[in-house]
Amino acid sequence: MMRDRSLPSYCVISPGSVLDFTAGILGKGPVMGPMVRPDQPGFHVFDRLRRPEDLVLEYTTTTMPPKKAFFPPTETVFRFSAGDPPNLTPVRGDPPWVLLGVHPCDLSAIDALDRAYSFPPPDRRWRHNRDRSIIVGVDCMPDEYCFCDSLGVSQARRPCDLFLTEIERGYLVETHTRAGGELLGEARTSNALGQDFLEAEHRRRQKALGIQARLSADPGRLADFLEAEPFQEIWEDIAARCYSCGSCNTTCPACFCFTMDDVFHWDLQSGERRRAWDSCQLLDFAAVAGGHRFREDRWQRVRHRWHRKFLHLYRRFGRPFCTGCGRCSRACTADINILDETNRIIAAATKGRGHA
Amino acid sequence: MKKEKPRIAFFDFACCEGCQLTVLQLEEKLLDLLDHVEVAAWRVAISGGSDAYDIAFCEGSISNREDEERLHRIRETAGTVVSLGTCASIGCHNALKNQWTGGEVLELVYGGEAGRFETLPARPVASVVPVDYQILGCPASLPEIEIVLKRILTGQPHPLPNNPVCVECKRNDNLCVLEKGVMCLGPVTRCGCDAICTSYGDACQGCRGLVDEPNLEAAVRVLTENHRHAIMDAVARGLRVDRERIRTWFSLYNGPDLQLEQEKTGHGP
Amino acid sequence: MPETGKRAGVPADWTYLPEPARIVSIRREAVDAVIELELADRSALGHKPGQFVQVSMFGFGEIPISICSSPTRTGRFKLCVRPAGHVSNALYRASEGDWVGIRGPFGRGFPIRTMRNRDVLAVAGGIGLAPLRSLIQYVRDNREAYGRLVVVYGARNPSLILFRTDVEAWTRGEDVEMFLTVDEADESWTGRTGVVTGPLKEIDLSTRSTVAAVVGPPVMFRFVAAELLAKGMNRRRIFFSLERRFECGIGKCGHCQLNGMYVCQDGPVFRYSDLEGFSEAVEARAPER
Repeated sequence: MMRDRSLPSYCVISPGSVLDFTAGILGKGPVMGPMVRPDQPGFHVFDRLRRPEDLVLEYTTTTMPPKKAFFPPTETVFRFSAGDPPNLTPVRGDPPWVLLGVHPCDLSAIDALDRAYSFPPPDRRWRHNRDRSIIVGVDCMPDEYCFCDSLGVSQARRPCDLFLTEIERGYLVETHTRAGGELLGEARTSNALGQDFLEAEHRRRQKALGIQARLSADPGRLADFLEAEPFQEIWEDIAARCYSCGSCNTTCPACFCFTMDDVFHWDLQSGERRRAWDSCQLLDFAAVAGGHRFREDRWQRVRHRWHRKFLHLYRRFGRPFCTGCGRCSRACTADINILDETNRIIAAATKGRGHA
Repeated sequence: MKKEKPRIAFFDFACCEGCQLTVLQLEEKLLDLLDHVEVAAWRVAISGGSDAYDIAFCEGSISNREDEERLHRIRETAGTVVSLGTCASIGCHNALKNQWTGGEVLELVYGGEAGRFETLPARPVASVVPVDYQILGCPASLPEIEIVLKRILTGQPHPLPNNPVCVECKRNDNLCVLEKGVMCLGPVTRCGCDAICTSYGDACQGCRGLVDEPNLEAAVRVLTENHRHAIMDAVARGLRVDRERIRTWFSLYNGPDLQLEQEKTGHGP
Repeated sequence: MPETGKRAGVPADWTYLPEPARIVSIRREAVDAVIELELADRSALGHKPGQFVQVSMFGFGEIPISICSSPTRTGRFKLCVRPAGHVSNALYRASEGDWVGIRGPFGRGFPIRTMRNRDVLAVAGGIGLAPLRSLIQYVRDNREAYGRLVVVYGARNPSLILFRTDVEAWTRGEDVEMFLTVDEADESWTGRTGVVTGPLKEIDLSTRSTVAAVVGPPVMFRFVAAELLAKGMNRRRIFFSLERRFECGIGKCGHCQLNGMYVCQDGPVFRYSDLEGFSEAVEARAPER
């Protein structure tokens, strides 16, 4: 695609206009955004917005990431029915036309999945859904689990179309794509002034200061460390505490493994193939038909998680498949903290080398 | 092609018959089921019944000699035997009595009349006769009942689901209930229930049995040390939070499984 | 790179949607069935020896099966199915005329170009003969382009010998040097007994010009590699075809990952010298403690 030299462009939208804007786009198609689930007060989920006032733009990290807009936790891939030959009907994805309120870390995760799923041969289901959605990002305030800054994604914009930063008069809006600009045509906006930029910059600085947790090496060095050393004791120590419940994967915005299975409908002739999120931490993840389980030992699965995020996919796609969002650490009931454990690995690797 | 419909029958042993009632909750899907099967015997659904059947659903644990004999007769008659629910598949609450001798149990329950009865340790159906299909859950989980029925009718096996409940719970976009101050056995419990309890904010009580190779040491550590909210909440409600209580909790449904795990690994909660 | 849905008749934007294929014939042996398939549009599968397809039994699921026929034969293709799970069981019980779904072919097959003008050594254990049969047929059908063709095949017992007619033909054939062995003999067995490394020791290989293709259970690979290296073979000319769990076939679902590689795309055939560096290649190294 040709780069539009007029982008990014900037304007300001007031809180009231955000509400009108949301109401406007809600009338045109399904919109997903962060909202409170009534039975989980204080916590937010990405879900279909029914009313504009349900949108919450100031929220802490959701339990589950917004990748579900394009890759649902469970979905039907195709339907089949008896015939000569059998009838196979693909089932298209049902993405929102606008995905609202995505934090930089989650934008970066969507970028990660864009790369992984577009790598040839591509997963066209993902592309199909992505091509039909406009993404509106929003800046955030970190909590104690966030370490996005040391992975270089705290200011990520790709692949959003619009991006909002909270300022005194509402939000400073960055328009990053032509599609974003067209969507913004729906909204009442005003010109961005010098003061607005200063406030946005101030907020970004506040955010950076708020991110206390840091990886103690850059991703490139971390990959080298993981490649060079076995760290067996560390994996075994983590494994002793790990249940292998898979929650670190199922809450991860950059994980993308899945499994498929078939169900018959009640006529026992027709049915559907479904696909669901899977996790490499589960005992049977790599089991083959004969019954052999690759990575049968828990520590091997733990190592695999770190290797995949910070070594294998880093080498293949040029970026770690972790965004520092901290969801896995929050979700881990056994308190296995991805940042602490990674820093332990880094410390073990750099011990005695005088550059920890 | 018109095939004879297989005849199904339901039998209950030591249990509450709740699993049979759950099958009735298939409601309009029962009509679909009846397209494919004939009902030979189903005490909670129809009166009368016949002794000729192909697929036998057995719920409840086997806890006396009479049960044993009846189960053997069922096995001889039915081509397919299904253990329906946790009592029949693992032992469930019934197996709690196995920690005492039969004499002690009879004395406790019947007092002076104890001599009139006889009892055996409660066992799952599969410990007495070979079982072709197992459906877990207390009560048996409705989505799994449907899946297993279809698998039986299409000649497919149904391996026990071996992911923990957390996998289904997360797919349902739930906040971890531990985060909300509720103790939960989900991380070591077999899924297949679509995480119904935790999706409604309740604890998983482990009614579907332990996953293969559960990390029970980790589970105990989490439930007695790690999980601040849930532990504080439990303590505030006057509950003891220690290894003993966790063990008791696990035993509620998983007595026999725990024993197996203990024998295999040398430790349990 | 192989891609799903590339052939005519399949809408290009549907990843994971199989093409219907009809079972033309099915031949059941002691524990396996050889199934001959034809795509609904009668097009050729367009595979290479050593590749696999994802086979759907609708309502049961989808499993990977390596193709056991050579692309040099007819437009139809053959799969060898050993019932091990519910999908393979259903496939084993299927009848002629039944429909299945096919995605693929997937993966990198055997290095037929590297093998050109060289001697080919095929070492098979158990059902590992299935993908190698495709290679053996291919080499025989292009006989002048290859040197010696040596086949070593080990079955657990005489009743488990796969492709019996082929094995007999290869034994008789002048263009193949066939070594058949069984782990456990029965009364009727007059042939060789023992594991595949036995015949390997005897064979006089011109190690400089030989390329080896090895397929079998994980434990077999290491012993075969040790034997071949002892004979002086170059570790870059030894190729293993690995088994992992394949669900998508296109390097997305994650199940087949082996260190940084997706076995479904980067394999299943790998150079031994490449595998040596991978901690998760249990076939090329002693298991971790």
